[in-house]
Amino acid sequence: MPPQSIWMIRLSLVYLAIATVIGGLLLIHKAAPIHPAMWALLPVHFELAIWGWMVQFVMGTAFWMFPRYLKGEPRGNSRIATLMAILFNGGLFLLLLSIFDVYSAILAPAGRGLFLISVLLFAALIWKRIVSYRKRTGPNFNKKSGE
Amino acid sequence: MPPITRWFIKAGIFWFITGIILAFLAELPVHSAGALLLPVYWHMLVIGWITQVIIGVSIWMFPRKKRDRLKEQSKITVASFLLLNSGLVLRFLSEPFIPMFQGDSLITLSVIVSSLLQILGILLYIAEIWPRLQPKSTRKKKSGDS
Repeated sequence: MPPQSIWMIRLSLVYLAIATVIGGLLLIHKAAPIHPAMWALLPVHFELAIWGWMVQFVMGTAFWMFPRYLKGEPRGNSRIATLMAILFNGGLFLLLLSIFDVYSAILAPAGRGLFLISVLLFAALIWKRIVSYRKRTGPNFNKKSGE
Repeated sequence: MPPITRWFIKAGIFWFITGIILAFLAELPVHSAGALLLPVYWHMLVIGWITQVIIGVSIWMFPRKKRDRLKEQSKITVASFLLLNSGLVLRFLSEPFIPMFQGDSLITLSVIVSSLLQILGILLYIAEIWPRLQPKSTRKKKSGDS
């Protein structure tokens, strides 16, 4: 498994744990009020569960599992892949800050913008690796699976 | 595909169908329970369906800590499945009734227990999958050592 996938999946698991704990507290708060400010955590719960957990986990896993190149770097340019992971998590961090009204007019679009660049990098890295099983036996792809 | 993966995916499909049925019912104009059902069917789809399919497939596809334990079923994953799904059942049976029985000790207890069960189920899944996230070189070295 490449380091970029390891880190993206590890971070997604951390976000899953945080999103689940926040979700659990919000659920309890519905029946037994904990603190009036609890509902401020609802958008944090959404963003961590959707972007931090699900989207990031799928991106990290796809980058690892899709067919690899036979020549050169097996999964494309590793520096671009590292940049993809950093921008994605940087975007999430800015988005979370914006939820708490920290320069939200700037940080919310900046966070989404970093998501956009990261997803474009992901698409560029993965595009040529989306091949049929038959094409994998061609000269440009490695028949061996997994790393 | 190991049995635990089949359990997670089948439970996921069950929650998927249940979630879609509830989403359909919530849109019908014959009652006013739409707002109460919204968090229920959203969580059926996001945790019950998508998250459980991700969990099941990752338990199956992610490299094991030791190659010779390929077919062995971890007790942690079984516990994760049981805790998460019992938490979800309890949640979906109690959450829509919170506004009607606000302050009722049975509903409050049910919500707290369901919340804890879900959190524990997810944490156990993380405990199972975290050690499997390592480069091939490290995995081979550990396999050779044992």
